[in-house]
Amino acid sequence: MLMQFAASGFLLGSVYGLIALGFAVIYKATRVFNFAQGMLMAVGAYLAVTGSVALHLPVLGTFAFVILSAAVLGALIQTVLIRPLAGRPLLPMVMITIALSIILRASIELIYGGGGRTLNLALPSGSVLIGPVRISAIHVTAAAVSWLCMGLFMAFFRFSKAGLLMRATADSHEAAVLSGVNANRINALAWALGTVLAAIGGLFLGQLQLASVELEAIGLLALPAVVIGGLQSIPGAIIGGLLVGLIEQLASGYISPKARDIFIYVPLLLILLVRPWGLLGERELGRV
Amino acid sequence: MRRILRWSLFAAFLVYLPFVLNSRMVFGYRVGNMALLNLGLAQVDLMLVSIIGAVSLNFLTGCAGLISVGHAAFFALGAMAAAAAGQQLGLPFVATLVAATLAGALAGVVAGLPSLRVRGLYFVLSTMALHFIVVFSFAEYQYAFHDVAGVTMGDATILGYELDSNVKWYFFLLPIVVLVCAMLQSVLRHREGRAMLAMRDHELAAASAGIDVRVLRLKVFAFSSAIASLAGALQAYYLTTVSAEIFTLDNAIHFVAMIIVGGMGSIMGGVAGAVVWLLLPSVLVGTVVEMKMLPGTLTQFLVSHQPQVVNLTFGVLVAVLLIRAPGGLAGLYDDLMRRRRV
Amino acid sequence: MTAGPLIELRGLSACYGGKAIVLRDVDLSIPAGGMVALLGANGAGKTSLIRAISGLLPLHHGAITAGSVRIGGTEITGLGPDRIVRLGLAQVPEGRMVFRHLTVEENLRVGAAVISRAQGDQRIAAVYELFPRLAERRRQAAGLMSGGEQQMLALGRALASAPRVLLIDELSLGLAPIIVKSIYDQLRQVRAAFGTAMLVVEQNARLALEICDTAHVLERGAIVLSGTADAVAGSERMRESYLGTKAESAL
Repeated sequence: MLMQFAASGFLLGSVYGLIALGFAVIYKATRVFNFAQGMLMAVGAYLAVTGSVALHLPVLGTFAFVILSAAVLGALIQTVLIRPLAGRPLLPMVMITIALSIILRASIELIYGGGGRTLNLALPSGSVLIGPVRISAIHVTAAAVSWLCMGLFMAFFRFSKAGLLMRATADSHEAAVLSGVNANRINALAWALGTVLAAIGGLFLGQLQLASVELEAIGLLALPAVVIGGLQSIPGAIIGGLLVGLIEQLASGYISPKARDIFIYVPLLLILLVRPWGLLGERELGRV
Repeated sequence: MRRILRWSLFAAFLVYLPFVLNSRMVFGYRVGNMALLNLGLAQVDLMLVSIIGAVSLNFLTGCAGLISVGHAAFFALGAMAAAAAGQQLGLPFVATLVAATLAGALAGVVAGLPSLRVRGLYFVLSTMALHFIVVFSFAEYQYAFHDVAGVTMGDATILGYELDSNVKWYFFLLPIVVLVCAMLQSVLRHREGRAMLAMRDHELAAASAGIDVRVLRLKVFAFSSAIASLAGALQAYYLTTVSAEIFTLDNAIHFVAMIIVGGMGSIMGGVAGAVVWLLLPSVLVGTVVEMKMLPGTLTQFLVSHQPQVVNLTFGVLVAVLLIRAPGGLAGLYDDLMRRRRV
Repeated sequence: MTAGPLIELRGLSACYGGKAIVLRDVDLSIPAGGMVALLGANGAGKTSLIRAISGLLPLHHGAITAGSVRIGGTEITGLGPDRIVRLGLAQVPEGRMVFRHLTVEENLRVGAAVISRAQGDQRIAAVYELFPRLAERRRQAAGLMSGGEQQMLALGRALASAPRVLLIDELSLGLAPIIVKSIYDQLRQVRAAFGTAMLVVEQNARLALEICDTAHVLERGAIVLSGTADAVAGSERMRESYLGTKAESAL
């Protein structure tokens, strides 16, 4: 039993890790806490529906469609909603992403209708038994792709020029700007990446469950995940995602689905009180 | 003299309003739905409750600078405290309201405690965590002591007089709203209120001026949460049944949206925000339908998807105001007045 | 080769937050390859002037209200800071502002991002030659280095972009005199090797006047004294306010 929950927790957690990573990228690069990350995830699921159902694209084609659309959307959001608020205090920055999630949700419901849509991509199905644990192929695929994306992103972040400039901007915005970095382009890139990561996560969760705005509630779990892992830490986000996935499976399995909230938000509160910079984060000097 | 006249007319309007909305007649003449902005008295009653919620949040966030998404949780807490006091302890209506208010004050202090440790974004997250924890507790309380379908509140009776109609509720709620607004307004004018604004604008300066920032923050939180819990209790009695599902994070977010649209930092801003929140759906749909502004099919689409269109409009409105007019509607109004004087 | 000064400020005025005037009608020019000192007390507006030239005022809620800034004849008033860096203007900011979590090599790479890879490689190699200490600590995180090393890194990062002009803000702040002397020597080497023009902002007037050709004194946002370094050093005003008592000869 425990093994089963741990296994599915790990696999599901990998997808959460992907969404949390997207969130962390946006936060680290642009200092914006993106409350709309969950809704962007739902957008990804719906984009997959459009790609496969309306456009009749094959699986890889749907993937490409989702990635491209999400990238454009992310850059658009940054340019239209985030950039005008540069330098403003916390509340507008928090509220603009909340307003974004309201706008996204309403738009989704207007375009696709209220109910959820089933997503039936031609992804591996069936399951396999490893010892006492039953693992479904789709879970493994989702986890594998998630880890692949995370790996690709880490490579990009570490080794590419754009990644370097992104790290520099995250390190010190002003120093980056005076060194000639085009902050607007870097921020748009960060948002594009963050949205793409959320969208891919949404695609898989939509396949696993249903493409609906209710996915947002799952996406919202990325927030505590990132905070527990450490807002300033990229690996922290991934680990936070894994932890949340594990806790979710264990709590739902042993107690009840409702209990999930308690087991995630109480630790969140504790972390905030005891170690706000998260498990892997760095203590920020001065006011937190 | 003119001010007194204006206020008297406004007061008269407020007194006559519920009868107009109920009977759909003004001084004996039939009035169309459009003229009444498609409003019913029930919506106005709920709006009055929202006003209490909005001004208390504005007090916390706009005036004291403490951003919180926990307001729905305080509503839940107030409802829970009133239900428990009424059902389990058998207290009368007014006493349960007092109980709800006190519970809110206590919870406010608890909710404010994280602010002694962390600030800004992390604090907002702590209020978010508290939201889920409180709502979960409400759900457990509901399943334990009441029905899965919902908590049925007792009758709202004051000294034998039962509030059993929209009109009665209106005249019960209206003075409460006026009282709360007047009280908050007066707090802002006095020493502690000024200290609060100073704390919002420049905490370091306030602290060095001798203001005990930590205690003040807790006081503000207690005060604001007490009022919000009162509103939650009132809402519960008005709806006669409440269930944990209605206290969503979305509700809390809507309150924040209200104060942004209305204008943060002023009592009138809170009122304006709640009023716009109420009026927007009706005005929007009503105008479009009546004025035949759009082709038939589009109008149909609009009407059948009214909630989504309203949400979309509200979201866009909040975004536009954040970017262009950070002072909200109250700020725009102030600018207009200033320009007229010049 | 463009005739005229490399950097030219004419009637430059600026303010913060729409109200606080910080620069008043400043005229200043830097010839190609020249070294100009900008002196003044704390709060005189020296850093604001650097921000105005490099397009960083908006970042600090400020704006240029009048006048113009030109580099090589091209008007750069109101341009974005990244464009200005690409036009050949680099900055060594007050407080160093190195990228603490990036390595020395990565810090330099960021500076070199505005030029081609080949050019960048050349420039970084030159920086390592100039500052062997940096070469030693190539893979070390910048945040772990001493103040003097960070100052070298900030200078190196600016040089990595192959600039025509360097704006240097308070190089000596917080550093031991012997390190400051060493870095100033390296500035001379830079000028000799690359012919880079420099605007040296210093509270420590003595140092700046030793190395520069011309000098300006800024007081409350306005230039109150200009001239050759010797003339400025020898002036009454300087001797009284910045260089010590009247009896002491500054240089």
